[in-house]
Formats: sequence, structure tokens, C-alpha cells
Amino acid sequence: MPRYELALILKTMQRPETAAALRRTVETLMERGAVVRNLENLGEKLLPYKISKHNQKHVTGAYFLLDFYSPPNIIIGLLDHLHRDVDVVRPTVLKKDEPGSAVGGSCCGP
Amino acid sequence: MLSLRGLQRLKSVLTPHRNTSLRSLTVSSSLVQNKDNMLVQMENPYKEPQTGCVLCHVTVDYKNIQLLSQFISPHTGRIYGRHITGLCGRKQKEVSKAIKKAQAMGFMPVTHKHPQFMRDPNICSIKHLN
Repeated sequence: MPRYELALILKTMQRPETAAALRRTVETLMERGAVVRNLENLGEKLLPYKISKHNQKHVTGAYFLLDFYSPPNIIIGLLDHLHRDVDVVRPTVLKKDEPGSAVGGSCCGP
Repeated sequence: MLSLRGLQRLKSVLTPHRNTSLRSLTVSSSLVQNKDNMLVQMENPYKEPQTGCVLCHVTVDYKNIQLLSQFISPHTGRIYGRHITGLCGRKQKEVSKAIKKAQAMGFMPVTHKHPQFMRDPNICSIKHLN
């Protein structure tokens, strides 16, 4: 199964609410047949620009990185679900490349 | 003088040579048969070691906004061109794509450079007035 990365920006909330939102996201993923590999917390940071989502203007956000394996057909449904979630400011799913092919071959220098 | 010439001719006939064409017998032997004056095929001994661009062995990631911010203008946030960054084709494309990705995902500011990275060393060959 191909590897994906979900860069999730959640609304700034108290710890139990953030935990609940993350739990909801991971459970949605697992219901749809994805295998969660890793969840990283990149911290609560000031957003680079004001983002308005769900009739709210956000200035700060909690950044999370979620690695998972999944079949490609569920991704569109997953993104649709995340856009509807009120606590999520910006979800982005990216395909993850295998590290062997990334800087492979000659790159102009020795 | 004439006898010397005659001697040279005789030498060329008597001593065995690889190419026994008529030409070598008539023309004076010192010019054609001497190997030291011929050009030797070898690779350039003064060749400089091949230098790559700054990001040659560095993986470019959209999460590494500090690295990406070194290739944008601090005033406007515009991505510098190849003639300013000095990157090779492949790396310039990777950096450009990563910057646009990071900006779209909400990791990197669009219209300016993050103030935390203003004091980073200048890689690009551009001099700002202040």
C-alpha cells in the first residue's frame, strides 16, 4: 500500500479537546482501512497567515503530522470528512516518496 | 653532405621498420618515426574537481521552512530565480515546489519571510540595501 502523510492543523484548544479531535481523526482513518504508522506533534505555532475556516478566523494552530498506509481510493472521502470537521483548520494529504529514490543518481556534484 | 644523405637513406632501408611504405624510405626518417613529438592522448591533467550547487547532498523538505526561507526575498517573499540562487536545475525545481507546497499547507508565510529567519546567512548572490 502506498504511504501518505497528513499534515493536520487543528484549532488551538485545551489538551483534552485536542486529544479528542486527534482520536476522532485516527479512528476515522482506521475505520476506512488505513494503517496508522506514526503521529508527530510539531507544536502549537502562530499561523503564517490568518486562516478563516468554519466562520472563524484562526491566528494560532496546533500542527500534527500523521504517517499512514492506505489504499488510494479512500483519500478523497477522507479529505472530504476532514474539511467538514469543525476543529480542523487545514488538512493536507501528501504522498510519501521512498527515501532511496529521492536523492538518487548524480546530482551535478560528486 | 651528399654522403650523409646517402647514409641516411641506407639506414632507412637496412634497419627494419613497422611501416615499410615508400614514403618512409624517401622522406628523412627523423621526422616521421620519432614518437616523442607525437601527441599523446590523455585526459586533461588541469581539470578542476566538479563542484555541485549548495544543496547537492541535502534533501529538500516542505517542513524545513528555515532552509526554504533562505531562497525567498525578505521584503516580498518572492522566490529567487536560478541566476540568484545558483542552484542546479533539479534542486531549483525541488525548492520552488517545496516553497509553494509549504505556503499552501499553512507552514510558510507567502508575502514575507518569517522574522525568526531574518538573521540567517545569505546564500543567494543578492545584496540588500540595508
